[in-house]
Amino acid sequence: MSSKDVPDVLIVGAGASGGVAAKHLAEQGFSVVVLEQGDWVNQSDLPGLRPEYELLGGGPWHPNPNVRQRPEDYPLNLDDSSAVIGMFNGVGGSTVLYASCWCRAKPSDFRVRTLDGVADDWPVSYEELEPYYRQVEYDLGVSGQAGNPAYPPGYAPPLPSLPINMAGRVMAEGMNKLGWHWWPGYNSIASQDHLHQKKCERYGVCMYGCPQGAKGSVDVALFPDALARGARIETGARVARITLDENGLANGAVYFQDGEEKFQAAKLVMVGANGIGTPRLLLMSESARFPTGLANSSGLVGKRFMTHPFGTSVGLYENDLEDWVGPTGEAIESMQFYETDASRGFVRGSKWHIIPSAGRPLGMINRFTLGEGGVAEEPFWGPAFTDRMKSSVGHLIEWMIMPEDLPEEHNRITLDPSMTDSDGLPAAKVAYTTGDNTKRLVDWNLQRSLEAHEAAGASKAWITSRNNPSWHNMGTAKMGDDPETSVVDRWGRSHDVPNLYVIDGSVFPTATGVNPTATICALAKRAATHIVETRREQEVSTA
Amino acid sequence: MSAVEVRLEPFGGVVLSAAQRERLALLADVVVAGGAGMPSASGAEVHTQWIDRVIAVRADLAEAVSRVLVLEGDPDEVLAGVRAGDPELFSGFAFAVAGAYLINPRVRRELGYPGPAPMKSPALPGEAEAYLEDGILDVVIARGPIYRPTPGI
Repeated sequence: MSSKDVPDVLIVGAGASGGVAAKHLAEQGFSVVVLEQGDWVNQSDLPGLRPEYELLGGGPWHPNPNVRQRPEDYPLNLDDSSAVIGMFNGVGGSTVLYASCWCRAKPSDFRVRTLDGVADDWPVSYEELEPYYRQVEYDLGVSGQAGNPAYPPGYAPPLPSLPINMAGRVMAEGMNKLGWHWWPGYNSIASQDHLHQKKCERYGVCMYGCPQGAKGSVDVALFPDALARGARIETGARVARITLDENGLANGAVYFQDGEEKFQAAKLVMVGANGIGTPRLLLMSESARFPTGLANSSGLVGKRFMTHPFGTSVGLYENDLEDWVGPTGEAIESMQFYETDASRGFVRGSKWHIIPSAGRPLGMINRFTLGEGGVAEEPFWGPAFTDRMKSSVGHLIEWMIMPEDLPEEHNRITLDPSMTDSDGLPAAKVAYTTGDNTKRLVDWNLQRSLEAHEAAGASKAWITSRNNPSWHNMGTAKMGDDPETSVVDRWGRSHDVPNLYVIDGSVFPTATGVNPTATICALAKRAATHIVETRREQEVSTA
Repeated sequence: MSAVEVRLEPFGGVVLSAAQRERLALLADVVVAGGAGMPSASGAEVHTQWIDRVIAVRADLAEAVSRVLVLEGDPDEVLAGVRAGDPELFSGFAFAVAGAYLINPRVRRELGYPGPAPMKSPALPGEAEAYLEDGILDVVIARGPIYRPTPGI
């Protein structure tokens, strides 16, 4: 193969970050190949419009690959993890099934060491990232309300806000009684026709895939543009290792497709395989030059795994709130308790948001049978069941409490010594325990959320869950300026391999207290922009 | 009574005999007895039509149904015993029954859902603004910024 036949960029993973990078680079004239272990998702296959959608969401469309067990899923050993893990393997990645909550991190998230004396500052600031947030918000059809005092001035989503619906309105009145912050939710769901996205029709099944194509899942919103500019996606292509030339530059990847081992050459490699898949791949790419894993001279690949083990509370309300009306993302959010207040007994904070509860009627079972405050001990089955359902479906508001989760090196991803995927590659082993700060943070905020329910007029409110699987897999290839204490630099480029980039949530130095997709996409856009701007200085493999 | 035939591959199907369906009706009514203007599990045809939709897509729930159906005795006592001795099995069985119950269109209608499955509910023109037009956000804005600024650090 001559050098002109070798694509400029190979991207591993067709998820959020891969979609952002592929679109940007292809539009800038780069030749791009994407290797994705899953397949395209046909909109007509999505379960959301079938009566048994909730059952399908607990089985073949489950976010946990160990439950889903599709051929393209690699297993996870969760024996040492208090967190259950979510991800989706396919074109679009986890954005296919995500709720589309779109949350910029806040300025303080990038300076937690300076402000709060914990973890690490990021090598980028909110102000540096802001232009990239703005660009990806346009590309992904983000709807929301300008003027939120929880952010610096100028945050104005490209599309008008979606309705906050009755549940949002009722809770907003309660929050006003308490003098607490709230704001109409931000969602990467189009409130009007926008580029490739159709206007949201509020089916309320966002987490089962959008049947309308309104959601900013990157298979719908971004990859069509990348493909139109010549990018190529190889599906069913599970990458086994990234390869290096004799000079230590990345020169491609070995992958399995239909059981056959193949090689894809490239001048530059980007990895966007999520906070578990990325360290797994780097660790599988060990070599004589990198015996503990590719790009792992710091020893941090796989370490500092963070997730958002969120909690939930519900309140019962007399009025029918028709709380099955979508979207599922955020009706309203609150940043009242986001910033550190040392008097609370923990550092950092939490974003709260309301999502429709009645879109998941089977979810009522756990809300009652696992409910705290004595609810679990109350009758639920038998004669009580229909009364419980009648009084709660459409009459219940649910707060989700998204906590900052601080990095700890013992929370880590390693290669499982015995478990393998269908190609014989090692499974990822997750070791994770929820930190004390996170537990205190969630507990304190859940208690405040009960006060919010009371102020909003709930006849009864209780905590329904803690330690929920967030699908937010972060921190396992830390970004930083110092090669001894980080895996990649401020652009996402490996300190060890100058033409290898990591572009997913692995690079997060801290978890922030918000859903990560916005920041993942903004960082990927920034990395891709940097690659274009420095193309003449970029070292590339010619072997 | 023979065990339900369970295919081992994920999300495979099962076939219930007439006798098994009769038994399921009795057991399912212990889980969903009906009331508040709503039918029992058997009144909602859980044991005839809707359980098939559940076990067709959830092999894990099919197995729970299978394991409970082979237990003989008074339905109340059987399920009380399962609940005390094997809560996970009880949860699986109850979840299967509830899942079958809640996909019955009649049940969904009784609960207030607008249709037998999720449906379009497009926003009316001006609906988003209508929720906010009485100035409900004004007090939030009036309190001013609540973020910690970080310029220069």
